[in-house]
Amino acid sequence: MQRNFASRAIDIAFAEIAQIHRLMSFHEPGSDLSRLHRARTGAWVSVDARTREVLAYALRVARESNGCFDPTVAAEQVASGYLPEPHSAFVPDSNASWRDIELNDDGVRLCKPLWIDLGGIAKGYAVDRAVEILLETGAPQTCVNAGGDLRIAGPRAECVHVRDASGAIAAAVELGDAAIASSTSVPAHATAAHRDGENKQPIEGGVTASVIAANCMTADALTKVVLARGAASARTLAAFGAQASVHDLRSVRGTFGVAA
Amino acid sequence: MHARWLIPIGVGAAQAAHVAHATQYMTVEQAQRAAFPQATTFEMTRADLHALALDAPAGWSPRIWQARNGNQLLGWFFADAVIGKSEAIDYALALDANGSVIALEVLQYRESHGSEVRLAPWRKQFVGKTIRDPVALNQDIKNISGATLSCRHLTEGVQRLLKLHAHALLTAPA
Repeated sequence: MQRNFASRAIDIAFAEIAQIHRLMSFHEPGSDLSRLHRARTGAWVSVDARTREVLAYALRVARESNGCFDPTVAAEQVASGYLPEPHSAFVPDSNASWRDIELNDDGVRLCKPLWIDLGGIAKGYAVDRAVEILLETGAPQTCVNAGGDLRIAGPRAECVHVRDASGAIAAAVELGDAAIASSTSVPAHATAAHRDGENKQPIEGGVTASVIAANCMTADALTKVVLARGAASARTLAAFGAQASVHDLRSVRGTFGVAA
Repeated sequence: MHARWLIPIGVGAAQAAHVAHATQYMTVEQAQRAAFPQATTFEMTRADLHALALDAPAGWSPRIWQARNGNQLLGWFFADAVIGKSEAIDYALALDANGSVIALEVLQYRESHGSEVRLAPWRKQFVGKTIRDPVALNQDIKNISGATLSCRHLTEGVQRLLKLHAHALLTAPA
């Protein structure tokens, strides 16, 4: 009885994750983002409430990080081969940025030709939605782990080990009702995985940033800011009540942004 | 939201109150079985500690066992104690027949701070160490900030037991 109940709740949570992927995928032709990229620049496009929520949050992180986090770096990611070229009605403007995305109550418009990639934030949102669904169905203790972006909810704290790029344990943290996400910048010779929104350059490699925040969407997005900015990201972390630890293959470089 | 860095302790992190007074994590027997699952007997052994002139604190009296499977010597097991900051940390060290570390276990911890030494990643640094390694803090053993005294004294304890083994036990008739 209990087991059936739990497995049904888990099925619903997985279905929600799949739906978020369909809505926010950069390359699936039916996604909200693909519809935006096919639309005429300046036209309002109605999107799912979840896509709108993630976009609104992405813009907030962009604002709080002075554009270091920027979901419009997609054009550069396509140019470097990290993302596939989308079906689009336009060629993106290299001067466009997050400031050129406008939201209203049910839609989005792009004021300049640009491509949006939510790869730096949507996974965290999917984890949050899965956790919320499990809690709504009455699960007393929940842990959703999407390959390192994870959130723990419930009265019991759990110990989370953070691995460095080589797979060795670099840090351990006890978490309760909190999320942690980690991002590693790849070495320069590999395809760039993360890009600094301010200068659109790839972030140099071999460093892992882990961010702890109240929810996983925040933690996921802020890892990119911490990777790019290091200790200078402390103010952005504070704006979201988050904290971070940064380490490379040799040592821990620092732990900062600890909320009081 | 609750978050507490264990390794490393966050620089300037809000230190949550540790309440780990006199927590026993493992008994000697449990640690022996975990280190030598194939052992059929643990035979208590003595060593002449005074003859070694090791720089040991007064009252140093580790208990020593040979782990055996029938006639085959599997290794050595030590139950010892060091002072962390002001209280004793009971710990166990297991060495294979060649004297390299199989496991380091914290059996009992009594202090309010520094209990991070019982975390597996820190203890695992010792696995494979022998008398030929420095076994020294900040050399081949990483420190945990906030638990420096526990780390230092436990590391010194392991180094002392490796010397004891090399000088008094390895040459003893098995």
